Amino acid sequence: MHFLTLTQVNFHYPKLSRMALENINLEIEQKSITAIIGPNGSGKTTLGKVMIGILQATGGKVLLQGEPVSEMSLAQIGRRIGYVFQNPDLQLFCATVAEEIGFGLVNQGWEPARVKEKVDFCLEFFQLAEYRHVFPLLLSQGEKQRVAIASVLVAENEFVILDEPTIGLDAYRKKILAGYLRKIASIGRGMVLISHDMGFVEHLADRVIQLEKGRIVGDSERKGRNGYDT
Amino acid sequence: MEAVIVEDLSYRYWPEGPLVLKNMNFRMARGEMLVITGLSGCGKSTLCYCLSGIAGHRRDGVMQGQILLDGKDIQKLRAASLALEVGIVFQDPDSQLFSPSVEDEIAFGPENLCLPPGDIRARVDEVLDLLGISSLIEANPYHLSGGEKHLVALAAVLALDPPLLILDEVMSQLDQQAVQRVADVLKRLKDAGKTIIAVEHRLETVTFADHLMVLERGALARWGPIEPMTADREFLAAQHLID
Repeated sequence: MHFLTLTQVNFHYPKLSRMALENINLEIEQKSITAIIGPNGSGKTTLGKVMIGILQATGGKVLLQGEPVSEMSLAQIGRRIGYVFQNPDLQLFCATVAEEIGFGLVNQGWEPARVKEKVDFCLEFFQLAEYRHVFPLLLSQGEKQRVAIASVLVAENEFVILDEPTIGLDAYRKKILAGYLRKIASIGRGMVLISHDMGFVEHLADRVIQLEKGRIVGDSERKGRNGYDT
Repeated sequence: MEAVIVEDLSYRYWPEGPLVLKNMNFRMARGEMLVITGLSGCGKSTLCYCLSGIAGHRRDGVMQGQILLDGKDIQKLRAASLALEVGIVFQDPDSQLFSPSVEDEIAFGPENLCLPPGDIRARVDEVLDLLGISSLIEANPYHLSGGEKHLVALAAVLALDPPLLILDEVMSQLDQQAVQRVADVLKRLKDAGKTIIAVEHRLETVTFADHLMVLERGALARWGPIEPMTADREFLAAQHLID
């Protein structure tokens, strides 16, 4: 069974004349890195939000391992799929960076010692240790982005969707993030990368789906090290 | 007269807070473009806030030193006068957009400059066309993609026609076509005499600029002509600015 199945999915924002997503048919496997690329306004973020039910498709079906996403609560979906928003300001709300990273784990009932261990690891790995006690919204955009990514990846969901994770990141931090994503993919955690950063995507994705004006116009599997084959 | 003079600039966000900018000095002539780069958290956005006058007007912020725009001390300018001197596009366009339509958003600045309606219409149409976003005119900015929001925020600032433009990673969310379009627009504005300060990680998109500033933990690590500095791969790699 596919991890995510989208069948004839449409989405329409009120007051916008054109469809944001039109007739999307897509099957996504769990243990793979799928990139969604496309120009600004092509529907990448909308597709990510429809996949996890933040936006309900206005037509068609979205299934998570055979179960309609529309019949699941956001909490049920959130336990299985982590989601990093394009804008970290929409995601951060705790009083400190450490609390932010540990929030999901605490609410999933993890043991405090284990939460601390995971949080400490993430603070070190994402080079956020000096900001442990800082209010996240006081950080720079690139630092906020790292906190948002860490607070989702720490939860060890079986699948994650990252919307433009490289925005605000410098070349060095992009490299660190790529290494981490490759590592978690190698232990079987799948992901969707929504990105316009082809340099980043090319190094990571097993499959690249290209959107244009809300429609899928390309779907390529990685073929060897150097490229993709439709 | 120089367009921008920064002398002994230091900044902290609250009186006992850490120094986020440390003793910075630089000058720019009118019509020059400066690119600021550096690792995240090094003070790039804070420098933009200082140069745009926002930081100096924060209640808790402590700014030392002096910033002169066209010879005027930025800390002595009221918000309305500042808006005539400098326009800033924030790194996060969501913190800048507030109108129910793209058209209203772009018209807001010129309306508040009390321009005649015909001039406002002309400015709105001109910047929409310049940035290739005329089709978004009726859209609600909040329904747009991240890249489109950034283009709208840039359009709203360009409609004010300030002599100094500060752009904080304005191209970070743009697709390749939009990056090229914005780069062309900036080049044209620079040739027309605008002074431009842009924060950017992808230096290959802004090779037409004059100066490059590398910031490191709030201090100026290096400043110089952009071409030889971007050619110095060893230095950029040592700063972790390229792979």
